[in-house]
Amino acid sequence: MAGGFRVLHLVRPFLAFLPEVQSADRKIPFREKVIYTVISLFIFLVCSQLPLYGIHSTTGADPFYWMRVILASNRGTVMELGITPIVTSGMVMQLLVGSKIIEVDNSVREDRALLNGAQKLLGILIAIGEAVAYVLSGMYGSVSQLGTGNAILIILQLFFAGIIVICLDELLQKGYGLGSGISLFIATNICENIIWKAFSPTTINSGRGAEFEGAVIALFHLLITRTDKVRALREAFYRQNLPNVTNLLATVLVFLIVIYFQGFRVVLPVRSKNARGQQGSYPIKLFYTSNMPIILHSALITNLYFISQLLYRRYSGNFLVNLIGKWKESEYSGHSVPVGGLAYYVTAPSSLADVLANPFHALFYVVFMLSACALFSKTWIEVSGSSAKDVAKQLKEQQMVMPGHRESNLQKELNRYIPTAAAFGGVCIGALTVLADFMGAIGSGTGILLAVTIIYQYFETFEKERATELGFFGF
Amino acid sequence: MDAIDSVVDPLREFAKDSVRLVKRCHKPDRKEFSKVALRTAIGFVVMGFVGFFVKLIFIPINNIIVGSG
Repeated sequence: MAGGFRVLHLVRPFLAFLPEVQSADRKIPFREKVIYTVISLFIFLVCSQLPLYGIHSTTGADPFYWMRVILASNRGTVMELGITPIVTSGMVMQLLVGSKIIEVDNSVREDRALLNGAQKLLGILIAIGEAVAYVLSGMYGSVSQLGTGNAILIILQLFFAGIIVICLDELLQKGYGLGSGISLFIATNICENIIWKAFSPTTINSGRGAEFEGAVIALFHLLITRTDKVRALREAFYRQNLPNVTNLLATVLVFLIVIYFQGFRVVLPVRSKNARGQQGSYPIKLFYTSNMPIILHSALITNLYFISQLLYRRYSGNFLVNLIGKWKESEYSGHSVPVGGLAYYVTAPSSLADVLANPFHALFYVVFMLSACALFSKTWIEVSGSSAKDVAKQLKEQQMVMPGHRESNLQKELNRYIPTAAAFGGVCIGALTVLADFMGAIGSGTGILLAVTIIYQYFETFEKERATELGFFGF
Repeated sequence: MDAIDSVVDPLREFAKDSVRLVKRCHKPDRKEFSKVALRTAIGFVVMGFVGFFVKLIFIPINNIIVGSG
């Protein structure tokens, strides 16, 4: 396509305006990377707690309640959008490039710069779009109540928060920190959510009077204050509508199961064609696409919920709208829950009792979950450049061959494992999520999986960094 | 019946491939599992409590900010 029109070139005029983190021009010591990572995390956490100025109320139904933990988003704060803009733009760009709608030659420096610029620009546009949508949809009270000035102020706050997240992630990606900002923020948000539900000192009034929100705090409080220890114990373990000790134990169990399966991998021997036939190995993990199926599945469900709730609020009598989803305000937490239609059937049953009451719902949910994860996983390896063909190409470029196989057979051999690992790994991810949700694990099955896989990756990165650092400093 | 076969056959093939994959997999032994579990648990708790304390600190701060608003 020499001289032909290229979509990426459209981005060139905007490059000058985009905020950019300078590439690290020197080797950053490990200790400094840790410091940058921690500082970025603190900036994110503080933004997650700062209330938005000018909002009238946040008592309206929250269409994003279900996915806030995973999107690292907090209601009514500067970090309302969370990492949504950056994740969405990343996914969109990945799909466009993977499906060849946008042509990119990764060996050309300019193409890589333009691609990064395009992704950043898209993230910024999404942040603006979402901020406007939030205000206009009445999330913070109707626009007439807010006034034009406050509405614009809110949009600006959300917009700048989006910019901050984009820059923080870029800072870490450009070599100043460890791993990616997105993963760090998601994992921390999930861990915080789980710890909070275990140790929260806030009290909530339910039918039984004031109770501590934290499961562990409530356990000790009940044991100390109740004369009937057995009943106190039973309540601590099985109370409804608030985190309980059973939820906590289920969370720990899911945690351990995920870690075990993380260790599954097929190790293929590879050898360098030069360097005196240096031996190595190329591991193909059972969780080949890691947590990506869950992220894609969550993004899909989030959009379904959002659209469904918007439609239901306006046209609740319409047959098609009811088919997509019917909603009802929950008595306790004030957020809407799906009670009918497609939105209901793709939502995890809230308890075993719920499963027994409507077995078709449970069955549909399980089949949908497993199928969606397998499909997303299989699709993702194609669009993300980690299919058997792509891996074979990489190994060839690195002058690696498999002992006992001709070079042309490398891809064929990889094809025996990679697609199956992707699909079956996706199914396992889906199954673990279902299992966690049925057991009532805190943070949702999706969240726990994300957190564990992210932390696991961090330790792998940690090991690698330290290995290269040991020759320089001892950490 | 052909319709059912066209669905069942790929599933059976997939199941067979999956079983072969799992058998071929290297699986973590007790020592390896314990090491990874401990590390991940530490990471989990550290991250969780960092977020927890930031949130704890900001509750009174937010009450002041919003209260004066």
